[in-house]
Amino acid sequence: MQITFDQVSHLYGKGTPFERLALKNISLKIPSGAFVGIIGQTGSGKSTLIQHLNGLLSPTSGEITIGDVVITPTKRIPPAKRKDIGLVFQYPEHQLFEETVAKDVCFGPLNFELPESMAESRAREALELVGLDYEAIKDRSPFQLSGGQMRRVAIAGVLAMQPKVLVLDEPTAGLDPAGRKAILEGIHRIHREQNLTTLLVTHSMEEAARYADLMLVLAGGEVVMQGRPEEVFQQADRLRDLSLDVPQTVSFISRINQLLPDTARLPATLYREEELIAHVLKRLSVPKEC
Amino acid sequence: MLQNIAIGQYVPGRSFLHLADPRSKLLFIVMFATLVFLANNSITYSILIAFTVFSILLSRLSLSYILKSLKPVWLLILFTVVLHIFITKGGTVYYQLGSFTVEEQGVRQAIFISIRLGLLILFSSLLTLTTSPMDLTEGLERLLGPFGRIGVPVHEIALMMSIALRFIPTLMEETDKIIKAQSARGADFTSGNLVRRAKNLIPIAIPLFVSAFRRAEELAMAMEARGYRGGVGRTRLNKLRFSWRDSLIAVAAVLLILAIGWWRT
Ligand SMILES: Nc1ncnc2c1ncn2[C@@H]1O[C@H](COP(=O)(O)OP(=O)(O)O)[C@@H](O)[C@H]1O
Ligand SMILES: [Mg+2]
Repeated sequence: MQITFDQVSHLYGKGTPFERLALKNISLKIPSGAFVGIIGQTGSGKSTLIQHLNGLLSPTSGEITIGDVVITPTKRIPPAKRKDIGLVFQYPEHQLFEETVAKDVCFGPLNFELPESMAESRAREALELVGLDYEAIKDRSPFQLSGGQMRRVAIAGVLAMQPKVLVLDEPTAGLDPAGRKAILEGIHRIHREQNLTTLLVTHSMEEAARYADLMLVLAGGEVVMQGRPEEVFQQADRLRDLSLDVPQTVSFISRINQLLPDTARLPATLYREEELIAHVLKRLSVPKEC
Repeated sequence: MLQNIAIGQYVPGRSFLHLADPRSKLLFIVMFATLVFLANNSITYSILIAFTVFSILLSRLSLSYILKSLKPVWLLILFTVVLHIFITKGGTVYYQLGSFTVEEQGVRQAIFISIRLGLLILFSSLLTLTTSPMDLTEGLERLLGPFGRIGVPVHEIALMMSIALRFIPTLMEETDKIIKAQSARGADFTSGNLVRRAKNLIPIAIPLFVSAFRRAEELAMAMEARGYRGGVGRTRLNKLRFSWRDSLIAVAAVLLILAIGWWRT
C-alpha cells in the first residue's frame, strides 16, 4: 500500500504546560512494497510518526493517505482497516499477557473476528515465519521464554493479523548482536515473501543500510532527508551535524577513495557489505572460492 | 489521553510558590483546610476564594491547567449540590412543586459545600503542582520526624510515598503504551457490556502488573547495590532551608487566621 503524508503536524498535551510540537509539517511519500528505514535520534519524533499510521494518534493538522484510506484531524481510520497496518511497538514483549504463546498470538486475529480454527492456523504460520517451532512453543507460557523468543512471539502476534503494512519501532533494541541479526533477517524475509510495505524505525545506520531501499531521516520533528540510502549517505557531513553516523562501509569507501586515483575509485553505491566485498574481490581478481 | 489529568503532576518552575519550603507549604495547607471548615458566611468564603486566586497567580501556572484538577471531582461536587438542595430545609421557600421544595438553607449549603470542596482540591493540587515529589516527601519526613521517637517508621513511610509518587507518571506512561499496543492488535476497550469491558481490561492489567513487579525488583536491587540500609545516619545532598518566603507565608497564615476569626459568625 502506498503511504503519503501531506503537511502533517502533531502537538502533544495541547493546552498544558507540557505542550510539545513533536511533528512539524511532515510531507513524505512511500511507494507500495518499499522497505523504509526511519532514522533519527531519540526524541526526533519517530514513534510519534508511526503511531499515526493506524489511528493511535490523530494528526493535529495535515492529511495522511494509506492505500485508499484518508486520515485527517477529524476523520479516523475505519476499524476494519486497522488490521492492514501491523504495528510492532518498542519492547513488544511487554504486551504479552496470555497463558500460552498460541493464545497470545491469536489475540489479534480473534479481535478482528476470525473464526478460531483460522486464527490457529494463522498463529502457526506467524510463529513459523519468525523462526519458532509452533508445536514446541505453543503451550508454553510467554513469560518463561528468553528475551529474544518473547520478542519473536510478540512480533508473530502482529504478523498473525496478516497486515499489508508492517511497522516496527526499534525491533532490535536491547538484543545481542546475533539476536538482532536473526530478527532483522526474519523481517526482511517476511517483507519479500509477503510483499509487504515495511517501515523499520531504528537509530542504527548499519541496520538501515543493510535492508532499506528508502530512507527517512528525522530530526526535531522534521524530515530532514529522504531518498535512496546511497543518496543519504553521500551527505555524510550533514548526518554528522545531526549526530548520526554513516555506516562503516560508507566511511571505509570514502577513506579509501581519498587514497585512490580518480579513475580507480570505488562507487559510493556499494554501501551493502556483501556488494562491497564482492566488488573488492573482483578488483583484486581473487577467485570467488577464497 | 492520560496526560490530561493534572492531579499529582509536578510542573517545574521558579515562582514564589515553587521556591518556598515544602514544610511551610504543608503546614499552610493544614491550616488552610481548617479555615475552610471554619468559614461560615459570605465574607469569610470570599476572603478564602480571593486568597486562593492570589495563590494561583503567585504560582505563575496557567489558570485553565489548574482548573483541570477539578475535573475528577466534578461529579462529587455536583452530587453534594443536588443532595443539599433536595434535603436541607429552612428559610425562604424559593420553589415548590407538590411536596418537593427548594429552600434558602438548601441552596446556601449547596453553594458553601461546593466552594469548600473546590477550594480544598485547588489548594492541594497547587501544592503538588509546585512541589517536586522529592521535596514533598522530604518535607513530610521532617515534619513527622518527632513521631519517629515513639516508634513510627517515619523514614520508611516517606520512602514508600516518594517511590509511589515517583512511579505514578511512569505507570501512566506504561499504561498508555500498553493500551496503544493492544489497540494495535484490535483490542476494543470502549464497547460491550460491563462484564465484557472488565474482561477487556485483562490484556492491559497483566502486562502492567508484570512490569510493575519487574520495576520493583530492579529498584530493590539497585538500592541494595548502592548500599541502602534504611534511614539511620543518612545525610542529604540538598538540605531544606527556610527563607524569607517562608516568613511571608507565616505572616499570611496569621493574617488569614485573624481575618476568618474576626468575620466568621
Ligand atoms: N505521550 C507523550 N506526551 C507528550 N510528549 C510526548 C509523548 N510522546 C512523545 N513525546 C515527545 O515528543 C517528542 C518525540 O518523541 P518520540 O516520537 O517518542 O521520538 P523517538 O521515537 O524518535 O524517540 C519527544 O520530545 C517526546 O518527549
Ligand atoms: Mg521511540
